[in-house]
Amino acid sequence: MADRNIALHVNSLAVGLQTDTGVKIIDDISFELEAGRVLGVIGEAGSGKTVLARALVNGLSEPLVTRSGEVVFDGHDVLKLSDAELAGIRGNRIGYIGSNPAGALDPTVPVGDQIVEKLRSVRPDISKGSATQRVLDVLNAVRIPSPEVRFHEFPFQFSGGMMQRVMIVDALVTNPEILIADNITQALDVTVAAQIIRLIKELRDQFSTAILFISSSLPVVQTIADDVMVLQAGRIVETASPEVLISKPRHDYTKSILERLPRIWGKDITPPEANDAPTLMSVTDVERTYMVRKKGTFRGMNAVRAVRGMSIDIRQGENIGIVGESGCGKSTLTRLLAWLEEPDNGAITFEGRDLSKLSHRELTKMRQSFQLLLQDPYSSLPSRMSVGRIIAEPLLIHGTCPRGEIKGRVRDAMKEVGLDPDIENQLTVGLGAGDRQRINIARALVLEPKLMILDETLSALDQIEQSKLFELFDKLQKTHGFTYIFISHDMALVRKVCHRIAVMYLGRVVELADNKTLFERPLHPYSRALLSAVPTLDDHPFKTRDYLLEGEPPSPVHIPPGCSYRTRCPRALDKCKTIDPSARLLPGGGQVSCHLSDEE
Amino acid sequence: MYLLNFLVRRLFQGVIVLLIVTFAIFTLLRVVPGDPVRLIVGGMAPDEVVAQKAEELGLNDPIPVQFARYLGNILQGDLGNSFLRPKSGATVGAAAHDDPTRADRAEVLDLILERIPLTLQLAALAIVFALIISFPLGIAAGLNPGKWQDRLAFFAGSVFVSIPSFWLGVVLALLLSVQWGILPSIGYKGFEYTILPAFVLAIEMSPFIIRTLSVSIAQVMQEEFISVAPLRGLRRTRIVAAHAIRNASIPLLNLFGIQLGVLLGGVLVIELIFDYPGLGRLTINAVLQRDFPVIQGVAVFIAGLFVFINIAVDLAASFIDPRLEY
Amino acid sequence: MTDTAMKAQMPVPSQVGELRLSPTQRMLKEAWARTSFKAGFFVFIGLIAAALVFPEVSSIDPTKMNVRARFVPPLFFGEKWTWAHPFGTDHLGRDLLLRCLIGLRWSVLIGCASVIMMFVIGCGLGLYSGFKGNWTDTIIMRITDAQLSIPFIILAITILGVSRPTVPAIILVLGLSSWPLYARVARSVTLSEKGKEYIRAQRVLGASHWRILFLFLAPAILPPIAFVAVLDVARMMIFESILGFIGLGIQPPTPSFGSIIADGRKYLINAWWIATMPGALLLITLTSLNLMGAALEKARNDVLKGAA
Repeated sequence: MADRNIALHVNSLAVGLQTDTGVKIIDDISFELEAGRVLGVIGEAGSGKTVLARALVNGLSEPLVTRSGEVVFDGHDVLKLSDAELAGIRGNRIGYIGSNPAGALDPTVPVGDQIVEKLRSVRPDISKGSATQRVLDVLNAVRIPSPEVRFHEFPFQFSGGMMQRVMIVDALVTNPEILIADNITQALDVTVAAQIIRLIKELRDQFSTAILFISSSLPVVQTIADDVMVLQAGRIVETASPEVLISKPRHDYTKSILERLPRIWGKDITPPEANDAPTLMSVTDVERTYMVRKKGTFRGMNAVRAVRGMSIDIRQGENIGIVGESGCGKSTLTRLLAWLEEPDNGAITFEGRDLSKLSHRELTKMRQSFQLLLQDPYSSLPSRMSVGRIIAEPLLIHGTCPRGEIKGRVRDAMKEVGLDPDIENQLTVGLGAGDRQRINIARALVLEPKLMILDETLSALDQIEQSKLFELFDKLQKTHGFTYIFISHDMALVRKVCHRIAVMYLGRVVELADNKTLFERPLHPYSRALLSAVPTLDDHPFKTRDYLLEGEPPSPVHIPPGCSYRTRCPRALDKCKTIDPSARLLPGGGQVSCHLSDEE
Repeated sequence: MYLLNFLVRRLFQGVIVLLIVTFAIFTLLRVVPGDPVRLIVGGMAPDEVVAQKAEELGLNDPIPVQFARYLGNILQGDLGNSFLRPKSGATVGAAAHDDPTRADRAEVLDLILERIPLTLQLAALAIVFALIISFPLGIAAGLNPGKWQDRLAFFAGSVFVSIPSFWLGVVLALLLSVQWGILPSIGYKGFEYTILPAFVLAIEMSPFIIRTLSVSIAQVMQEEFISVAPLRGLRRTRIVAAHAIRNASIPLLNLFGIQLGVLLGGVLVIELIFDYPGLGRLTINAVLQRDFPVIQGVAVFIAGLFVFINIAVDLAASFIDPRLEY
Repeated sequence: MTDTAMKAQMPVPSQVGELRLSPTQRMLKEAWARTSFKAGFFVFIGLIAAALVFPEVSSIDPTKMNVRARFVPPLFFGEKWTWAHPFGTDHLGRDLLLRCLIGLRWSVLIGCASVIMMFVIGCGLGLYSGFKGNWTDTIIMRITDAQLSIPFIILAITILGVSRPTVPAIILVLGLSSWPLYARVARSVTLSEKGKEYIRAQRVLGASHWRILFLFLAPAILPPIAFVAVLDVARMMIFESILGFIGLGIQPPTPSFGSIIADGRKYLINAWWIATMPGALLLITLTSLNLMGAALEKARNDVLKGAA
């Protein structure tokens, strides 16, 4: 093994805080990155992944500071190089891609110009013309459509996935020996993330770059890495090949990561089963179109068809999941369901009463029965009210509770959701995300609603808090008979808790089925693509190779005629171009809108 | 296409703003006490002459009618004639009962155009001085938040903004002109007469620039594209010069647009103190003599300038940052 | 995650043990921790106290002329040091310190009153404009633009020049001149608050528009405007002195900074102190106010950073 070609050698690296010599953010990090291989790093939020990534290229900013160790690249310790010497390496021979593509480039300069600027900054000998040509070549290599046009576009004109491709170009344009990829799929939708992973794999072969692939998701790392290091609280606790790590984890922390991974497929999985119950809320052919001023025109308007012909029945006492990727109309649907906006067409009825036909007074009264829990636990609570007052607010609004009893009701609700009633006079500053969501729940709970709409309510929480809140939701459902609508992008979450699941694409339900059917025998090609992109260690019934899509959904301004999905569908038929498939009811209460499934 | 639509929309808005301003000033001047006709014809004139003159000037018509007439004239580029100033320049003695025909009075537009170059020269030089003072302080503070550069800018800003400009003008005139004789300060006989007033104005403006610049630079430096840039291989000087200042200049442009009125107001006051023959002296003399057409004309002209410069500022901002949809 | 993870690792000292303080209270506390705020505060309070007390207890009448004591130089500058007239006397032999302190009273009164006025007009209109949107918003914003495009000095000299400059008229003019900035800030804060999740949450709970407006939006505009208001008291005091300087401020015999300086300008060469001493006192007062305002602004930014 003496001829192993080591690209980067890290020796007992430690990073601490300038202000406090005792604190070590990462400590005793040693590893070797071999040329042409992918070394994965897995760690949870706060484990020091990003600090490690930045420390490797001597790119720490205050108050972080390297305490000890060396990072040897090409015979030099990167940490001891002067800025001038560093300039020849950083961004040139070591590329870096971060987790937030949207913020990675100057928003006021065209992307192409910025990559050229970077290329000429690290390679001053390249002429402007040949730099431009080189950038265009690499843009082409990452399959960005019409690179000559996009070269001159600005970062805000790119979607997250496209922008991450641009950042890959930015890192690879110098043909670096090492690429540090810091959680690059984190901000992306699952299908887009899967595309990026696939791209990185291809590029690795093409550019023969050594990659340090950092991620918070073990399933993601597993698909790409040759070896995986596990980072816990700034220390490497275990290194192994992905297969060994998953089948024979040695360290307790690795074991706990594996245990906490949500399971999606497998013999031992028993998903919640749907049962018939009367309808509580019914959404019929609901449409919502926003008129947005077209750029650069005087009176021109773009019709953004956010929700177009959405129908779904919500049964009493069930958990129903509505899943879809960014831009599918989930947030508009949420606002419609919570009656924050009224649909342009169609109707939403609650307990048999059409919400649009209610008087203002009746509506206010009705509002008590369906409550919305919002995604962001920080911005959804007013910052200048005490916890107790926040929870009392709905009682004060509706005036249903005698003043004297409010305090007691508030304290009861706080106890019920697991909050210490003694914090009622405290402000929300300093409370964690989990406790804040509990306040949100308590605030809805005092109204004794029947339906709770959960708009990505749990996505801001870590795994442990998530499962605690699941238990709470479950308990509340048992004691109060709540119905839950989970609006989410997280397939693992809906698999775990929902009885029935609807898949949304471009403002419409393309498939609705019970949990078991959707995950095991989905009919719509989009459902399959979505499932194929879910990162999991389970034995995947839908191989990425077979089902993953190229490209991104069309904009809701220009919805293709015929079946709106056909532009991305690998198996589109001729009639898909002209005939919009209607929803076909399936035995067992599900429905699907697809010509293919009609024929199967 | 973009440009045309933007201009059409903004000009439309600008016209509305100008209408409001014109109407407000017009009405204001007609409801305040003080009979302008009496001033024109002179204190000793018999009442029937006053009435006749008022009729002649159309001052007896209802205000909306007068306003419509005034607007019609503005559309033809006519801001009216001064009540008092003859074409030759010297003020007519108001006490004498002479009755020159209307044609002998100076046209307001001419009066303004005659003086505006000097005012613009003063304003432009002041902006140059202000930028020279503010840029080093503001940028250094923005790049080093919490350090001595930041504190220096903070303190300098707080002191500069506390200096009454007219007082600074008086003190500097005392020191530089009277005591040491370095710079002339009163009147205007050449470019050097602009320097001292411009410097005083620059001190008045610089705190706003320093504050905006330091805050926005500090903010931009927190942005991810700045913190990632060194990892991408860009050098610090390049990052600051090409990206941080570029992005921080947008709030500065907006500040300029909003504070323009304050700047113009400041110019007028400074002109007064240094007896600088620009718009300011014209205006205050007009007020003291109740020369309403001139007051009106100056107000409308300055509002027009304000609208025009604001359009230019927004246009410049949207060229720098294409996200600002114009 | 990159930045959130880093932030999570940094301690935020300002939050520890302050769980019961509202954002406004935290901002004040944060400001109080700054030397510049405390220094400004004590100097300002000291000057106000002097202005309130000294003329009352002093045996000299500030309006009384004394031909024998004309052009007395200030303390340390005369041939013999005397505490009789620390700032010296003017061309009519009146005590300058006393006149300045009385000018300060009026100046602060006019500054505060006009800021209260523009605060009420501006915030009210801005809040309503941002909350209502649509046509209401367009109209109010155009009026705001129109007001912004008339320089203060033109408005002031027009109104005060053709009517009589009384104290209420001066306050009115100053108040009118600067409300658009408040309207703009209030409007933009209202717009951004209105889009926030907690407002949506209140609507889901069934809260009425008025409840949201008064209980949630109105308090939110206070912190971003508080420091502007403090800075503007200083700015209005400068404006007041400018008006005095060009003869459109408080009329004699009541002294004002502007008119004293205007008088002193005539005697600049023989008696420099008449014009410079009042300006210096005004400068100190304004600096103390501006230090407070700027410290408040910094404190607010810090509180915002801590909350993010």
